[in-house]
Amino acid sequence: MTDVLFSEWLKLRSARSTQWILATVAGFVTLCAVWSFYIARYWDGLSPERQAKLQAAPAEHPLVLTLPLCMAVLGVLAITSEYATGLMRSSLAAVPRRGVLFAAKAASVGGVASATGLLSVGVAFGLGRLIVGDRAITDFRTPVSEELPWLLSLGLSAAVVALVGLGLGTALRSTAGAVTGLCVLLFVLPGLAPLLPAPWDERFAAILPSNLAEQIAGDAADPVLGPVPALLILLAYAVTALAAGLVVLKRRDS
Amino acid sequence: MCRNASYTTVERVIEVRELTKSYGRTVAVDGLSFQVKPGSVTGFLGPNGAGKSTTMRILLGLDAASSGEALINGGRYTGLRRPMYEVGALLDANAVHSGRSAFDHLRCLARSNRIGTRRVAEVLEQVGLAGVARKRVGGFSLGMKQRLGIAAALLGDPGVLMFDEPVNGLDPDGVRWIRELMRSLAAEGRTVLVSSHLMSEMELTADRLVIIGRGRLIADTSVRELADRFRRGVTVRSPRSADLTAALAAAGATVDTTPSGALSVQGLAVDEIGDLAAARGIPLYEVTPHSATLEEAYMELTSDSVDYRAEKSIAR
Repeated sequence: MTDVLFSEWLKLRSARSTQWILATVAGFVTLCAVWSFYIARYWDGLSPERQAKLQAAPAEHPLVLTLPLCMAVLGVLAITSEYATGLMRSSLAAVPRRGVLFAAKAASVGGVASATGLLSVGVAFGLGRLIVGDRAITDFRTPVSEELPWLLSLGLSAAVVALVGLGLGTALRSTAGAVTGLCVLLFVLPGLAPLLPAPWDERFAAILPSNLAEQIAGDAADPVLGPVPALLILLAYAVTALAAGLVVLKRRDS
Repeated sequence: MCRNASYTTVERVIEVRELTKSYGRTVAVDGLSFQVKPGSVTGFLGPNGAGKSTTMRILLGLDAASSGEALINGGRYTGLRRPMYEVGALLDANAVHSGRSAFDHLRCLARSNRIGTRRVAEVLEQVGLAGVARKRVGGFSLGMKQRLGIAAALLGDPGVLMFDEPVNGLDPDGVRWIRELMRSLAAEGRTVLVSSHLMSEMELTADRLVIIGRGRLIADTSVRELADRFRRGVTVRSPRSADLTAALAAAGATVDTTPSGALSVQGLAVDEIGDLAAARGIPLYEVTPHSATLEEAYMELTSDSVDYRAEKSIAR
């Protein structure tokens, strides 16, 4: 198992697409720093009354929007690139135990995605604090201990989205299909949720992956779910998608 | 070189028994049985769509058989923990991630079977790709990809090797190289199964032939047996058949009378037969050389089982 895990880690690391995705994430971390810098300069130019009233999105905000998409693509490509090229046959010939191969893939994708998520969010947050310094900007002054659950759940969501991508990619064997599916889940459904009659609009919105991190951290203004149920639902996304992928992988010819 | 010499003592390294694979109503492999023995190159021949690749995929556990068995060293491939030490396979040379270097591609595969990077460098050297090891596979020609695929098959120094159409895309030097490689692998006591749809190639490479068409076994024979079955000869018709037969036999030829009354002559060339008949004043009505090459023998064997054929006349 460790051999297969190392092999999958090597595969993920040596793929061009992974390098591009990580570079994109790094680019958005830089954008977070630029955003913080802009807010700091803007704050400096305001009168004391307006400074006190300033509401600014937190430093990590640009990343919150991009990270799930990047991780979705990472997870999907980890498997669909192998199907698209036919490399999957070589992989299965090298490791005929399909469950082992899939577990190793899930572990490497989950590991890389959670590390990327935690690191990028942490760095973006830290840079924001460093750049803003001792300016009393509302959303940049919350104690780190209060922000920690939010930052951790962002990192965890990144890993979950990547695993959903892996599971969906394995089940569909199509990059376009799996990425579209994830975009619907991450970006389209949150927009459609308000169309449902109350109270189903809020209930439905509450279980969508993009709204779970807030509820896990206990930051939501009017949460439908408590932190623990929200966490369980987030994990259920990964488990369901991976199970679907494993069933298809074990049953179908390659 | 050969990691496990005991392979030579196994009589049936690859064994396919009553194998059937259907996709919906299409039957790709239909009750196919054959065995492949070690120490020789076995050509797996058949027209496109005959079921060669399907059979190989089932042998490698990639596709599930509808019924029947495909065994390697007496067991199923999917039961092997580190299969690369036992079986090396090249299925599709294009099945590589274009963004990876040749070295990384092999390292990923090698690592899963606990094969070290030194061995990766070794096989790259062996197939002549050491100079481009760090280059991205996307820029490789088909011939280079074939070499890379063969390198992957050799990684675990396995006793059984399967190559699906390995000479596709290779230049003449490459074709000769792989021919010699396969022969040397077999000479080391390994079992080598090579699929092809070209008899002309197998004629030069293989010792044994397993010929299939429409998923069924057509012939399981040695190259020599097949050549003997379709030996060259000359068909001769003459009104004085008896005299001619005697004269030809006296000159050392083997003569058979065909059902139509013509003579089938073996052992003499067309010119010699003509001279001989002229010297004795025997009139000849027909002298037709048969060039029954292995290629033609193969065409004849598989003529009923070609799936895709250009129609001779196209209706307008």
